[in-house]
Amino acid sequence: MYSTGCESMSEQVCASADATVLLVDDNPQNLKVLYETLKDKGYRLLIANDGKKALTLARRDRPEVILLDIMMPELDGYQVCQQLKANPETADSAVVFLSALDDVEAKVKGFSLGGADYISKPFQAAEVIARVKTHASVVRLERQLQQRNRQLESDQSRILNAISEGIYGLDASGDIIFANPAAEAIVRSSGDELIGSNFFLTHCRDWGCQGDEPGSESELPVQATCRLGTSEHRRGVTMTRPDGSVFSAEYRSSPKLEGDELLGAVVVFRDITEELEREAELKAAQDMVEEQREQLAHASRLSTLGEMAAGFAHEVNQPLTAITNYARVAMRLIDNDEVDLTLLRETLVKTEAQSHRASEVIRRIRQFVKKPASGKEVVPVAALLEDTRQFAEVDVRHNGGGVNVLVEDGVEDVMADPVQVQQVTLNLIRNALEATRAAGSSEPVNVTAVRTGNGFVRIDVTDRGTGLPEDAESKLFLPFYTTKPEGMGIGLPMCQSLIKSQGGEIGFERPEQGGARFYFTLPESSAAEPDALRHQAAE
Amino acid sequence: MSDIQQTVYVVEDDEAVRDSLELLLKSDGKTVATFDNANAFLKDYSEDMAGCIVLDIRMPGMDGLELQKRLNERHSILPIIFVTGHGDVPMAVDAMKEGAVDFIQKPYREEALLEKIEVALSEDREQRKTLGEQKEILKRIKTLTPREAEIMDRMIAGQANKVIAIELEISQRTVEIHRSRVMHKMGTHSLAHLVRMVLSVKDRIDAS
Repeated sequence: MYSTGCESMSEQVCASADATVLLVDDNPQNLKVLYETLKDKGYRLLIANDGKKALTLARRDRPEVILLDIMMPELDGYQVCQQLKANPETADSAVVFLSALDDVEAKVKGFSLGGADYISKPFQAAEVIARVKTHASVVRLERQLQQRNRQLESDQSRILNAISEGIYGLDASGDIIFANPAAEAIVRSSGDELIGSNFFLTHCRDWGCQGDEPGSESELPVQATCRLGTSEHRRGVTMTRPDGSVFSAEYRSSPKLEGDELLGAVVVFRDITEELEREAELKAAQDMVEEQREQLAHASRLSTLGEMAAGFAHEVNQPLTAITNYARVAMRLIDNDEVDLTLLRETLVKTEAQSHRASEVIRRIRQFVKKPASGKEVVPVAALLEDTRQFAEVDVRHNGGGVNVLVEDGVEDVMADPVQVQQVTLNLIRNALEATRAAGSSEPVNVTAVRTGNGFVRIDVTDRGTGLPEDAESKLFLPFYTTKPEGMGIGLPMCQSLIKSQGGEIGFERPEQGGARFYFTLPESSAAEPDALRHQAAE
Repeated sequence: MSDIQQTVYVVEDDEAVRDSLELLLKSDGKTVATFDNANAFLKDYSEDMAGCIVLDIRMPGMDGLELQKRLNERHSILPIIFVTGHGDVPMAVDAMKEGAVDFIQKPYREEALLEKIEVALSEDREQRKTLGEQKEILKRIKTLTPREAEIMDRMIAGQANKVIAIELEISQRTVEIHRSRVMHKMGTHSLAHLVRMVLSVKDRIDAS
């Protein structure tokens, strides 16, 4: 089991090799004593009888502790220690010198060469055991710590490598001290080129300032973080690459602090050029949809006007007829021998009133076909519904029955496009009148407005007409579905689209007493206000 | 002019049109009465009304055609001039079928309307004159005794006195006396005139 033989080195493996201890001595007797002292103490023991073999074993087995005799032929203990410390692989082993030399100079030399400790010959078994134990556990702890550190470092670098955002570490002057692979890819440059270069000089060349001009420097990206330690988040900033090309970036920068000291900044950024392009395309598509909605709504209004043409002709002809009559009366009055000036004046005043009446009808038509619609504004509900009722009365003349408007007390103004809301309301009222007439009923159509209590106003249009078909739920708002012989199936889908674009909802119910009830909701202007204010603030 | 006072009845829901039309017709010397809806006119209507109606065909509530129907049910002979709007031709046709005198489309020329009103008024006069005569004839017929009425029917049917005497089993002399009383009561000397008078009211006799 134990040999002092000249096979130079041998491994004596203990059952539980917690730590490895290398014993180096050219004297077999000494080796034997050391071996006997340390065996069965839970160490894996290695033995070398000269320096060269000791170095080989040390490299191979990385012992925690090396008990090293100083006085050896060829390589002495100092030289072995020097070489051990010079090699990173073996540098962390604790070297404990063994020597009969019990002088201070020798000890100091040993420590100066990286020795950890010193045991004098002849050794005391207890001392050897205690020192080996201490150094073995220190080295093992150090190694575990290093292992853990390496693992953490590699975890971190894997994470930094895996992240698709570019990450820079900057010092307080903006010099790049770290760049992850994504950062290199985004700025199309290598880490070697980036590290050491200045962030502002490299990436903010097109900002028209180099950070020295007063007033403009606060605008430079990341500048505030580097100088003041404030976090930043900006989107759509233009950054220049080392090759001169530019890209739109979104970045977040956070200060790197140690205690109160500002060491620099960490910048996480990405190239959002494509993202911005997609956003622009989406915006363009949305704008187009909106424009087409407007155009369809406008066409629909024109079509409604067409259907109401006879009614409008009547509305205009009434005042024109009156004007003609009054004009004739006035002429007769003038032709009389004695002109009744009072009556003449009265007649002219009436004439003027009728011409205003006619132009009011025209105004209402023009308002209705205005294009594009006027956009969202604060709309008083009662006035809008009353205006719409008067508009619809053009049809009432044809349909009988009439339209009642009832606006609950306390109903707030809504935020909506008045023309589009009028279009929807008119459409629903005309449908209701038509259903009423088809049912041979003379019940009026009721238009009511109430608050829903959650920031909306609900407007109901209720009739006692023919009611709705059974499959209305699934089909009523589908384009080209109609229950009317001459219907196009455009009206209700159009209404739905318009109300949704106002942020409201539209639907219908079947009242118990028969007929139909259509309703829609619109946001109250007070509920919509914070949003509007924010927009204004942004502008 | 006629001895009866004729009035132009304007039934029109639009206040301005109604008011201007009233002024216009008054300035032309007409007597005018206005109503803002068909029911109001129907409530005031009486057979004694003479003149014509200027009636808006489209009105909320009871429209012009409905009023015309109700007046027909009450045997009104007031001529009706319908005032129509653009695109109301089908309604105007219906109105004419129901016996309207005429229709005029808004906005109209004053001359055209006044002309139509004049025509309507003269038609009303004619009808009223005929109606007056018929009433007189009916009144006279009512003064006849049953025997005289029987004799008059046979006279109109062309029976000779002798035939009447045999069939009624009375003397020819008695027939002659009845016959002269009939002619006297009916206020005529000529059998031909008597026949014409009785035939002109035949519908009304059958009706009653």
